[in-house]
Amino acid sequence: MSTLSLPQSSYIRDNSRTFTDWLKSWLLTVDHKRIAILYLLSINFFFLLGGLAATLVRVELITPQGDLMSSDVYNRAFTLHGVIMVFFFLIPSIPAVLGNFLVPLMLGARDLAFPRLNLLSWYLYMIGGLFALIAAVFGGVDTGWTFYTPFSSTYSNSNVVMTITGAFIMGFSSILTGLNFIVTIHKMRAPGLTWFRLPLFIWANYATSIIQILATPVLGIALLLVVVERLWGVGIYDPALGGDPLLFQHLFWFYSHPAVYIMILPAMGVISELISTFSRKRIFGYEFIAFSSIAIAILGFLVWGHHMFVSSQSVYAGLVFSFITMLVAIPSAIKVFNWTATLYKGSISYRTPMLYALGFIGLFVIGGLTGIFLGVTAVDLHVTDTYFVVAHFHYVMVGGTIMAYLGGIHFWWPKMTGRMYNETWGSIAALIIFVGFNMTFFPQFILGYLGMPRRYHVYPPEFQILHVMSTAGASILAIGFIVPLIYLGISLRKGAIAGDNPWGATGLEWKTSSPPPTFNFDKTPIVTEEAYAYPPEAAERDAAAWRPGSPL
Amino acid sequence: MATITHEEAHAHTHGPELQHQFETPEQQKEAATLGMWAFLVTEIMLFGGIFMAYIAYRWAFPEAWEESAALLNTPLATVNTVVLLVSSLTVALAVNAAEEGRKRRLITMLVLTIVLGVTFLVIKGYEYSEKFAHCAGAKDPISWITGSDLHESHECLVPGRGFMFPDEHGSTSGGHGAAKTATQSGHQLFFLLYFSATGLHAIHMIIGLGVMTTILVMALRDRFSPTYFTPVEIGGLYWHLIDIIWVFLFPLFYLV
Amino acid sequence: MAEQHAHAHAHHHGEKHTHISRGTYYRVFAALMVLMVLTVAAWWVEKNLLEIPGWLAVTIAMSIAIAKTVLIVLYFMHVKISSRMTQVYAAGAFVWLIILFVITMGDYVARGWPPQAGPLP
Ligand code: HEM
Ligand SMILES: [Cu+2]
Repeated sequence: MSTLSLPQSSYIRDNSRTFTDWLKSWLLTVDHKRIAILYLLSINFFFLLGGLAATLVRVELITPQGDLMSSDVYNRAFTLHGVIMVFFFLIPSIPAVLGNFLVPLMLGARDLAFPRLNLLSWYLYMIGGLFALIAAVFGGVDTGWTFYTPFSSTYSNSNVVMTITGAFIMGFSSILTGLNFIVTIHKMRAPGLTWFRLPLFIWANYATSIIQILATPVLGIALLLVVVERLWGVGIYDPALGGDPLLFQHLFWFYSHPAVYIMILPAMGVISELISTFSRKRIFGYEFIAFSSIAIAILGFLVWGHHMFVSSQSVYAGLVFSFITMLVAIPSAIKVFNWTATLYKGSISYRTPMLYALGFIGLFVIGGLTGIFLGVTAVDLHVTDTYFVVAHFHYVMVGGTIMAYLGGIHFWWPKMTGRMYNETWGSIAALIIFVGFNMTFFPQFILGYLGMPRRYHVYPPEFQILHVMSTAGASILAIGFIVPLIYLGISLRKGAIAGDNPWGATGLEWKTSSPPPTFNFDKTPIVTEEAYAYPPEAAERDAAAWRPGSPL
Repeated sequence: MATITHEEAHAHTHGPELQHQFETPEQQKEAATLGMWAFLVTEIMLFGGIFMAYIAYRWAFPEAWEESAALLNTPLATVNTVVLLVSSLTVALAVNAAEEGRKRRLITMLVLTIVLGVTFLVIKGYEYSEKFAHCAGAKDPISWITGSDLHESHECLVPGRGFMFPDEHGSTSGGHGAAKTATQSGHQLFFLLYFSATGLHAIHMIIGLGVMTTILVMALRDRFSPTYFTPVEIGGLYWHLIDIIWVFLFPLFYLV
Repeated sequence: MAEQHAHAHAHHHGEKHTHISRGTYYRVFAALMVLMVLTVAAWWVEKNLLEIPGWLAVTIAMSIAIAKTVLIVLYFMHVKISSRMTQVYAAGAFVWLIILFVITMGDYVARGWPPQAGPLP
C-alpha cells in the first residue's frame, strides 16, 4: 500500500531558488491547499493566544478573592479570550483550514472557483487579527465578546472601536470563504458527482456557507453602527437619545446564534467522515444527515431570541423563541442517532481520529441537551449568565468543534503532509484532552447551577473547590493541546510515508497522491458510486484480517 | 474508476481568459454570476440591518419621522432617482452591447454610466453640504464657503452634539446634550439613519464607479468579446443592486 | 466534451440562453420612470391635496418600490433568464430580510416599546 518516498512533485515542493522566492510562492499563492496551510498556521497561533488569555482567567479564579488582577483587567482578559476564540479561531477553524484543503479535492476540482478571493480572505483574516491584537496590546476591551450596548457604545472606555474593526474585517474574510464554497460546490463537481454522492463534509460546509453569507453582514452593520455611535457621539443604541440598546442585541444574535452553527456544522461534517471511515460502513441515513444540515442552517435563523430571555425582550417573543429552539434540537439529534446507528455492527478501529469522533458524540450530546435546558425559559431564568451557560457552550464549542477540528487534522494529516503521525502519542493526547476537558467544564455546570455568575472574578468561598478543580482540568487540557503540536511537528520529518490512502477510505481526496499535486488530480476523476461505498462485507473482512498491531 | 486526462479536458480551444480551475468558459461564467449573486445577498443583508433600525424607530416615532422627512430636499432626491434609473438603463445597454460585441457602444454606455454616477454623487454631496452649512449657521453651502451671511443657526440636522431640530414655533429643541424626551430624540434618530443609510449607499456608489472605470479600461484594451464579457455582466449586477437600494431609500426617507 | 460538464448544468433545464432584447430594456426603463412619477405624485397628493392615512401612504410607496425592484431584478439583472440557483439566491436574500424584520418587529410590537409607555418620561 505505502510507497517508500513522497511523490516527486506536490503542492508543498516547489523549485524556488532563494528564500524570498520561496516566501513569495507561499504568500502570493492561489493554491487552495497552500492557503489552507497558511490558515492552519495562523489560526493555531490565534488559538494559542486565546488559550493564554484563558489561562489568565482560570488562574485568577483559583482563589475566591480577586488577588491576581483587578476586576477591570479581568474583564479585559475574558473579553480577549472570547473575541479571539470566537472570531479568530472557531468561526474560521474547520471551513478555512480543512474546508479549504478538502472541498476542491472532494469535488474532484483543480481549485476553488475563485482562488484569488480565497487568498484575499486569508489576508483579510490576518488584517482583522492584527487589529484585534493591536487593540489588545493597547489595553484591550472590557465589553465581553458580545459588545452589548449601551456599555460598548456609550460607557466603556477601552479599545472598542479597534476590536470591532478587527471583527468586522474578519467577517468579510468569512463571507468570502462561504461565497467561494457555495459557487465551487454548485459549479465545480466532477462528472458524475451528483448531490447525493457528495461526502457529508461537503453538505455541512455548504450549509455553513449559506449561514456565513446571510448572517455575517448583519453583524457587520450592527458593529459598524456601534463604531459610528462612539466616534460621532450620536445615539442609535443610546436610550438617552431615544435609541434602543436591545436593537443591538437583536442584530447581534441574528448573526451570533447562526454563528454557533457556523462553528458546529463543519464539525459535524468531519464527524460523519470519521465515523463512516473507521466503522468501515456506509453512513446510516445519508439523506437525513445531509438535509438536517440544511435544516439546521435555516431553523438556526429563527431562534436568536433565546439569548435575550431576560433582557427585557417581550415575554411573548420569548415564548415563541423558546418553542422554535426546541425544534432546532431535532436535526441535531437526528445526526447523533445516525452516527450511533452507523457504529452499530461496524468494524470499529480506535485510531486517533476515531477517538476524537467518539469524544465528540458524547460531549456534543451533553452540550446539546443542556442547550435544551437553557432554551426552556423557566429554567433559563435561573441559570442565565451563570457558569451553567459557560459550561453549555464550552461543551459544544470545545467538546464539539475543537474535538472535530483535531480529529480532522489527524485524519487528513497524511493527506496534507504525506506522512503519518505517531499513533500511540495521538491516542494518548486524545485521551488527555477528553479527561482534561471534562474536568474543566463539568464542574462549571454545578457551579452555575449553584449560582456562580459568569464574568466575575470574586466569588463566595464555598465555590472554591469546584473552581480549583476546573483550573486543574484546564492545565491537563493545555497539556493535551501541546502534545499534538510536538508529535505532529516531529512527524513532518520522521513520520512514516503515508501513501495515497492510509485509512482505506473512500472519497476522491484519497485517490490522488499524498501530498496532492498542485492541480490535485492528474486526470479529472469521474464518479460512479455513492460516497462511503464500503462494500457490505468490508467490516467482516477487516475483522478477520486483524492482527495485533495491524494498522486498521 | 474511469478518468479523463487533463490534456483531453483542455483539448478544445479557448481564449486566454479561461482560468485554470475551470473546464469551460460557460462554467466560468456561471460561477462568476452565481458568485456575484451570493455577494449581492450579503450586500442586501448589510443594508438590511439599517432598514431594520429604520423600521423599529419609525414605528416608535411616527410623528418625528413625518416632521423630519419634510426637511429633506425631495426635489433634488427626485432628480437623483431619475439619474440612477437612467444609469441602470445605460448599464443594461452596456451589457447588451458587450454581448453583441459592439465595442463603441459599450464604451459610450460605460462612459455615460460613469458620468451619471458622478452626477448622483455631486447632487448628494450638495444635499449633505446643505445640512452641514445650516449647522455652521449659513443659509446654503455657497454662503458657507464664502463665509458671508453667517448667523446663529436655529437648525442643525447633522446628528451629534450640536443637533437642533427647528420647532414649529421657531424655537429649538434638543441638542447641547440636554436631557431630551424620547419624542424629540426621534428626530435625531431619523437624521442619523438618513446619514448612515445614504452614506453607506454613497460609499457603494464610489466602489461602483471604481468597478465601472476598471471595466471601461478593460473595454478600451479590447479585453471583451461576445464570448467573454463576464466582468461587464457582474459589474452591471453590482451597479443595479446599488440602484435597487436607492429605490428603497428614496421613498423611505424623502416621501414618508 | 460537452457531456462531461453535464453536472454543471444539472440545475437548469436545458440551455435557455435566450437573451433580453434592447427593446425590452427600453420598455422596462419606461415602466420604471412611470412608477417613479407615480410614487412622487402620490407623495405630492398626500402632502397637498388630501389626507391619506399613514399606513396607506407607506403601502403605496413600498408597493411601487417593490414593483421597481422586481423589474430591475428580473430584466436588468437577467434573473428571468438565469439559472435556477441564481434565482433561488436572489429570492433568498429578500426572504431572509423578511425573517429579520418580522421576528424583530414581533418583539417590538409585543413588548410595547418605545419608552413613552414605560415609567420614563
Ligand atoms: C442543540 C442545540 C442548542 C440549543 C438548544 C442551545 C441553546 C442555548 C441557549 C438557550 C443559550 C442561552 C443561554 C443564556 O444566555 O441564558 C445558549 C447559549 C450559548 N450557546 Fe447554545 N444551544 C445549542 C447549541 C449550541 C452550539 C452547537 C453552540 C456552539 C457551537 C452553542 C453555543 C452557545 C454559546 C456561545 C452561548 C453563549 C453566548 C453568550 O451569552 O456568550 N450552542 N445556547
Ligand atoms: Cu443560541
